Amino acid sequence: MTTQYDPQWQHRMIQLIAQVSTMKAENIRLHHRLREDLGMDSVCSLELISMLAEEFNLQIPVEEAAQISTVRGAIDMAARHMHPVPA
Amino acid sequence: MTAAARTEPAALETAAVDAIADLARREVDALAIDRAGHVPAHVLEALGHFGAFGLTLPEAFGGSGAGLTLATRVIEALATVDRSVATTVGLHLGLGTRALVRYGTPELQAAWLPALSSGQVIAAFATSEAGAGSDLSRLATHVSTAGETLSLSGAKAYVTNGGIARVLTVTARCEESASLEKGLAMLVVPVGAKGVTRQKEERKLGLRGSSTTGFLFDEVEVPRSHLLGSPSVGSAQLEHTLSWGRTLMSAGCVGAAAAAFQMARGYTELRRQFGRTLASQPVVRGQLGRSSVMISTMRALVAACANAATDAELHRLSVSAKIFCSEETGHVVDTALQLHGASGYMEDTGLALLWRDVRVTRIFEGANDVLLTHVGSLELSTPTVYTAVPLLAQPAVQAVHRELESIKCNFGVRVFARPEILHDLGKAVVWRDAVVAGCRALPDEAWQRILADEAAPNVCSEHRRLHSRDDLDAVLQEPS
Repeated sequence: MTTQYDPQWQHRMIQLIAQVSTMKAENIRLHHRLREDLGMDSVCSLELISMLAEEFNLQIPVEEAAQISTVRGAIDMAARHMHPVPA
Repeated sequence: MTAAARTEPAALETAAVDAIADLARREVDALAIDRAGHVPAHVLEALGHFGAFGLTLPEAFGGSGAGLTLATRVIEALATVDRSVATTVGLHLGLGTRALVRYGTPELQAAWLPALSSGQVIAAFATSEAGAGSDLSRLATHVSTAGETLSLSGAKAYVTNGGIARVLTVTARCEESASLEKGLAMLVVPVGAKGVTRQKEERKLGLRGSSTTGFLFDEVEVPRSHLLGSPSVGSAQLEHTLSWGRTLMSAGCVGAAAAAFQMARGYTELRRQFGRTLASQPVVRGQLGRSSVMISTMRALVAACANAATDAELHRLSVSAKIFCSEETGHVVDTALQLHGASGYMEDTGLALLWRDVRVTRIFEGANDVLLTHVGSLELSTPTVYTAVPLLAQPAVQAVHRELESIKCNFGVRVFARPEILHDLGKAVVWRDAVVAGCRALPDEAWQRILADEAAPNVCSEHRRLHSRDDLDAVLQEPS
């Protein structure tokens, strides 16, 4: 089962991902993989997580960030560290 | 050569390396190659007859089936004589053919590997682009399906072996379609295919005997079977291919540094200043001693790459080796030139050629500053676990561990937006890897102590930056 988030918040997340990747926001899908589908290398995908942390003032452990491989994973992780969780 | 490569026992391996070193000394004139701007055909033919171009290619297709251990020793031996020759062979064995050997279909291998093993066909690897040097996420070259074939379009720059290659491994982005996975593709492209245009030979500071050209691909059609592996895991496939390239390039650095050191040692033992030989003077002894230890450490780090148990370990170590060996060969060669005084600056001694040749190793196969940030990032996300660390390498291992914990505590995940911190961490990691490999391999504690002393300032984080980004902005706004 996938979690539903506030559409505006999710859209903002996708915009941030588009900013780091080579893709346009409208072409990014939740199932896309950061490396293979969005063309990010390992440094670039970690930079994305860093940007999310900055934008939403999140405290995300480095080890957890390193496990993220998809757009859905990045959004879920950001939501986990937000209080309250956007719904 | 074939028998030696098949079994790789130490004695046969050494005999093979000695034989190719003899061949290189007999056939290769480095200064003449530098002046001519290419490796003569008779040298390439002699290397081909010897089996150098098939060293790591499968026996089933006429190669020797050797691994990185023997290949790195051969490239080191060639680089002691001439870096252009070593680069031509090393590029062919690593970046040029590795993806085909590992990911090519049996039919594609059967079509190309026999001629590649004999040296009748030389391979090259085309990945750099005008808009994407070390940043592979910005590749503009792309491949798409065109009926039963693939269509490749784009432009590649700085292709080593470009002028002599008859087949290329090309990296390209592919967009999702009904019959093609999305991702990073590597594909085999014959230079003679319709739509391939080879560009002019580049003029370079060094490695002038090694050919470098660009290529244009205008809707080049190749069969689907020319795709190597799967684009959906293309990043991992490329990483493996680059790991081989970096390891072999690092071996070339060892050879270049060893050649410079031998020249410096010979010269300083004969040259007298103020009533005694240069080699007997403490300052010179310190420089020679450091160079000797660094060369042995470089060799140990390359051997650690060759012995890596997994692709991930090879990737991690090969990046450290590439950075460490390219930086240190620069120092060793520069020291040798300095010790020669004015004669070192003259072309006829061969040191000026060495100095020019090794400069590019800090740039190609991933610019060092970009790779350092990558190393720091990799270490933070996947920390290295070393066991059974030699006593004199332990301070370096502990210093990096402390630095990691400090960064995690102070910055958390935000550190990934601070490349300057990742860069510094990367430098510490590279030196730590070098010290661990070196202390495991160096003959006694005297060598290890010199290495540990060299490493200390590079792994120690006690000296913190005083300046900020704002300080840099202020300085860079002012005209110099």
